[in-house]
Amino acid sequence: MTTRINIGPVHPSTHGVLRLVAEIDGDTVVNLEPHIGFLHRGVEKLVETRMYMQSPPYMEKLDYIAPMSYDEAYVATVEKAMGVEVKERAMWVRTVLLELQRIASHLLWLGTMANDVGQFFTVFMWCFKDRDLVLRLLQEASGARMFYVNMRIGGLIRDLPPGFEDRAREVLDYLDKQVKTYADFLERNPIFMERMKGVGVMSKEMAVDLGVTGPVLRGSGISYDVRKDNPYYVYEKLNFQTQVRSEGDCFARYRVRMLELRESIRLVRDALAKMPAGDAIGMPVKLILPNAKNRIVSVSRELPRGECMMYMVADPQKPYRLAIRSPTFINLAALRHISRGCRTADIFAILGSLDVVMGDCDR
Amino acid sequence: MAPIVSGYLGLSGTPATVADTVAYAIAISILIMAFDYFFGWVERKTIAKIHKRHGPTYAGKYGILQNLADFVKLLSKENTVPKTADKLVFLITIPLMLSISIFLIFLLPFSPTLLETNIGLGLLVVFVLLSFMPLIIFANGFGSGNKFAAISAQRSVIMLLSYELPIIFVIAAVGALANGYNIAGIVNAQSKWWFIVLMPVGFVVFFIAMLAELERTPFDIREADSELIAGWLTDVSAPYYTLALFLDYTRMFLGSLLIAIIFLGGWSGPLLPPVVWLLLKAFIVSFFIMIIRATMVRMRIDRLLRFGWIWLLPLSLLNLILTYVVFIA
Repeated sequence: MTTRINIGPVHPSTHGVLRLVAEIDGDTVVNLEPHIGFLHRGVEKLVETRMYMQSPPYMEKLDYIAPMSYDEAYVATVEKAMGVEVKERAMWVRTVLLELQRIASHLLWLGTMANDVGQFFTVFMWCFKDRDLVLRLLQEASGARMFYVNMRIGGLIRDLPPGFEDRAREVLDYLDKQVKTYADFLERNPIFMERMKGVGVMSKEMAVDLGVTGPVLRGSGISYDVRKDNPYYVYEKLNFQTQVRSEGDCFARYRVRMLELRESIRLVRDALAKMPAGDAIGMPVKLILPNAKNRIVSVSRELPRGECMMYMVADPQKPYRLAIRSPTFINLAALRHISRGCRTADIFAILGSLDVVMGDCDR
Repeated sequence: MAPIVSGYLGLSGTPATVADTVAYAIAISILIMAFDYFFGWVERKTIAKIHKRHGPTYAGKYGILQNLADFVKLLSKENTVPKTADKLVFLITIPLMLSISIFLIFLLPFSPTLLETNIGLGLLVVFVLLSFMPLIIFANGFGSGNKFAAISAQRSVIMLLSYELPIIFVIAAVGALANGYNIAGIVNAQSKWWFIVLMPVGFVVFFIAMLAELERTPFDIREADSELIAGWLTDVSAPYYTLALFLDYTRMFLGSLLIAIIFLGGWSGPLLPPVVWLLLKAFIVSFFIMIIRATMVRMRIDRLLRFGWIWLLPLSLLNLILTYVVFIA
């Protein structure tokens, strides 16, 4: 006989407003059904009614853990539609900011993930404290802590402030040490390893069939990273590796993200060292921009949570239609398949390892 | 008390007057309240320090009054009972558990001069009553008519299976070593060597099993806030939740006192009065439990069962055999 329990939408570890209906037999999960849509705001439709540069603030509210990444993906789509080249220095600055955003996002993930497996807020608090340092850097560069809106067509709203490089290096050195500390803290704990290893296994074939991307895919042994395989901006010129683990369990996904944190730190350091001087300021924000030249464009970006693809049919002054392939939406679909047969407590470990943001999923 | 009852329990010490007993009861109650309150504050501050934050700071000096403020706030809230709940079971269990915990602390002598409640089979009585706790939690979990509480109730019984036997075997070894289950006798038997030195394996097993008994991390499987919201406390509203918090700390106090008495030499120690020594040792044990809470990850229920049967039970048996072979045979 199975019991049906309703987890969420108000629950301590459903990462926002996700509702899970779990059918459990004793302590074993027979079926798990995610119910989504509580945070649906109709952004894709809303964008159609706005001029191009009125939309970035909406885009940032999709993924509130990594707002700048979404903003950048949208602005890049608009740039492509207009056929505008991004300035050389702006590309470098954007790369630095995007990687810093990835570090901030992964740090938040690490904290919540530790909470999900029953750590009493310790790693969570540490990560939030460190994330704040990164947010301060982003604030220096853009003027805001959370919703930056600092992308403009062809560049940015402002260049990096003087002294940014030194401060960033200081923070990165500190973070490098901290990430190692957190990894030690968690991985030397046998209970943590027990909770993560062999739990929620997603095989290679399954990962491909489900279409998952990002660290979830790389945790299943497939080396696919948009930054490497379809590079944009200056990723080609930078020194970093795609992190892949073949086990496909929660620990593999955890490990991939931890290694990515270090890779991102390396990437930012590298980019800061190689960054050329020049002008990074984009077009002034006006309501009326040059007419879009290309009718149908699509841009693919590696967000902290996976691959985001923006597909736009462009009218001269505003999008005719914008479709977003959001990474969380597709990664979350895997939850049902990989949590079948696991223990009740593992649902949350698996959910944590998928790193979902419901704003991104529901749009 | 009827002679047959006192004879069975082996009541020792001088027969106390009613006035003495009442005074003792009041003193211990105040002590428990004070310790609970102090524990609450120390736990908040300790965990805050481990988290690299400040913890309560505004209410009183160093936030010492924060718990009082929370207490008053919680008591001023409405008490609700869910429609699906069995009202009697739902409302009686937490006060019942709290009274059992307080009663058990009464049974523990605090110093060689306070032996009014020192009964012959003291330690056994304590553990018999303590092992009722999971069953009461089970009743509460099913009585509250909430699925999360029901899962918590099931877990409670599974946990009982995993840690109760090791505790009993360790207690048997302690009884063999101290020649009886009289608590004052156990403390006196440690006048030369503490039992933690004589049976370190038993101490480790007992400490881990006590963590499970007290629902502390990594065995807070029944409450499991990230999985079961609050487990058997999910539907408990403010005034009863206050009692549940009191219960939590009273049980932690009881557990630390037991560890201090059984393994750390009880009230023995130089210079300071015996009561202070016992409380100090209990406090140190509680402090360790707090640090463990802030640093460990919650165990899964099936893993706990495995851990209990593969490690705790054989180790406790080994401890019993070693104790017998080395010290008694």
